Amino acid sequence: MDENNIENEQTPEEEQDNSRRNFLKFGAVGAGVAAAAVAGIEIAQRMEGVPLDHFPLPMNENYVRIDQRNQVNTYCNSKKLNDAHPERAKAFNNFNFHEKKLGFYRGPYRDHAEGQGQIDRALASAGFFGATSQLDYTFSMDTIDEGVGSWKQTMLSKDKYQFDSPKDATMSIKSAAKLFGAVRCGITARDERWDYDPLYDSKNDKMLTWEDDFPFVPKSVIVVMVEMDYEAIATAPSWITDAATGEGYGRAMKLAGQLTVFLRQLGYQAVAAMNDLSVSAPYAVAAGIGESARNGSIITPEFGPRVRIAKIYTDLEDVEYTPPRDYGVASFCLNCMRCADSCPGEAITHGPPTWEPTYSTDPDAIWQASNGVLKFHNDSRKCFQFWTENDGGCAACIASCPYNKPDFWHHRLVDAQNVIAPGPVHSFMREMDILFGYGKINDPIRIVKFWKTGDQI
Amino acid sequence: MMGLTWYILGILSALLGYLMYEYSLKHPLDRISWTGLVLGVVLVLFSIAWGVGSVLEGVPRAASMGLLLFGFSGVIILTLTGRYITTKGKDTKI
Repeated sequence: MDENNIENEQTPEEEQDNSRRNFLKFGAVGAGVAAAAVAGIEIAQRMEGVPLDHFPLPMNENYVRIDQRNQVNTYCNSKKLNDAHPERAKAFNNFNFHEKKLGFYRGPYRDHAEGQGQIDRALASAGFFGATSQLDYTFSMDTIDEGVGSWKQTMLSKDKYQFDSPKDATMSIKSAAKLFGAVRCGITARDERWDYDPLYDSKNDKMLTWEDDFPFVPKSVIVVMVEMDYEAIATAPSWITDAATGEGYGRAMKLAGQLTVFLRQLGYQAVAAMNDLSVSAPYAVAAGIGESARNGSIITPEFGPRVRIAKIYTDLEDVEYTPPRDYGVASFCLNCMRCADSCPGEAITHGPPTWEPTYSTDPDAIWQASNGVLKFHNDSRKCFQFWTENDGGCAACIASCPYNKPDFWHHRLVDAQNVIAPGPVHSFMREMDILFGYGKINDPIRIVKFWKTGDQI
Repeated sequence: MMGLTWYILGILSALLGYLMYEYSLKHPLDRISWTGLVLGVVLVLFSIAWGVGSVLEGVPRAASMGLLLFGFSGVIILTLTGRYITTKGKDTKI
């Protein structure tokens, strides 16, 4: 044995000490791995949404069901309603909602560099063709009992299919929805609070009731979402966004129509609805497929607000309802405000959630509001006014939202971070989003880029 | 393309991990050196993945910002760690 080896030899005490040290080292590493795994599982669960046992938006006694005549689009469509309420135009700088709607989409072509040329208008019209052709060529998504949303129970099977269990019913419906193009699907109990009352047929200027006119007593509402094209929405507020919106409506409508046929063929009555029959947002929240956002839309994981919602009313009752979920959106929206900063019509509030609108207390200015819900109250009149000035839709609040991202790994990583981070980090992430070049509106580069997306196929 | 990036980054990670291990056998590293090396390498690799992802989604500004924030931080950490290791080596020799 040489001298070096003698030097390296350890005493039994030293060996024991080393062994303890190694044990502690491995223990610490193991504990670290276990902690990381637990944290990972927790983050994954939060990203999928934490199930809630209650409707997440607080409500008070001031809430009343929304009269469909006060829904801005329905109101704009009807000359009769506008004639009956001259005070509403007066309270809004003599803005005649119906006349503006009639002139909407009919102005001269503008600058193609801003996405408002002839080719952009052609694309928008083609985009909406999918939707209008399913609605007997009615250019309004809030028209009731029309086309795919017909109340007639055609193809209704006499044989009522019995699902193995409520869970099986839900899974079968969701599977069908996925096949027909849904990116999200939830099922909730019919809640009269969100249903328009009375319903209003703006095409024929006729009031309708759920009790006397609707073909059955709905028990459940299936809420589905389809994605809108990222590159097209990124051109906001160009006319190209209308193409994405119309295309989204068309696919949502097709999907909702197919689900009604599916249910009717199983012996259950069903009616498809887009923006008619009820306010879509609270139904989507109740069905757990998204969360209410500052811009008035629904934000859903992965797609953000870049989705279109359709509903299917059915008398199928024996289903397992999907609970509302907390995705961390409400807390992010409190601190972000990118949509409010980007809104060309200044329709989106910068304030915290309130029970009533804060932009006015004049009854002639807040006829379209839904009081008694603690949420972000935005002025849909201003939103519509910008549309008419723009002679097309807008989607700036969708394009600018930090949740609106294409499906790339680094965005999912940021999403994961956002669900666990506290408020100040959300403000920081908003700044980072801007710094990294996302969510810019009025960007001519996005128009050029959109018209090169054909290269991807 | 992203799949190929992950594949290459996987090979790079394994290679760099092996090289660090080999180096540590010849020149034992303390905790600070290990932390600096691992953090620096991870940040540089992360910035590459971020950059490729951002270019693929068509947001070059996000790619450059990612490279600047993560990659540059990684390079600084690696430089400081390298200096720390070499300085420490010299101190030991003295």
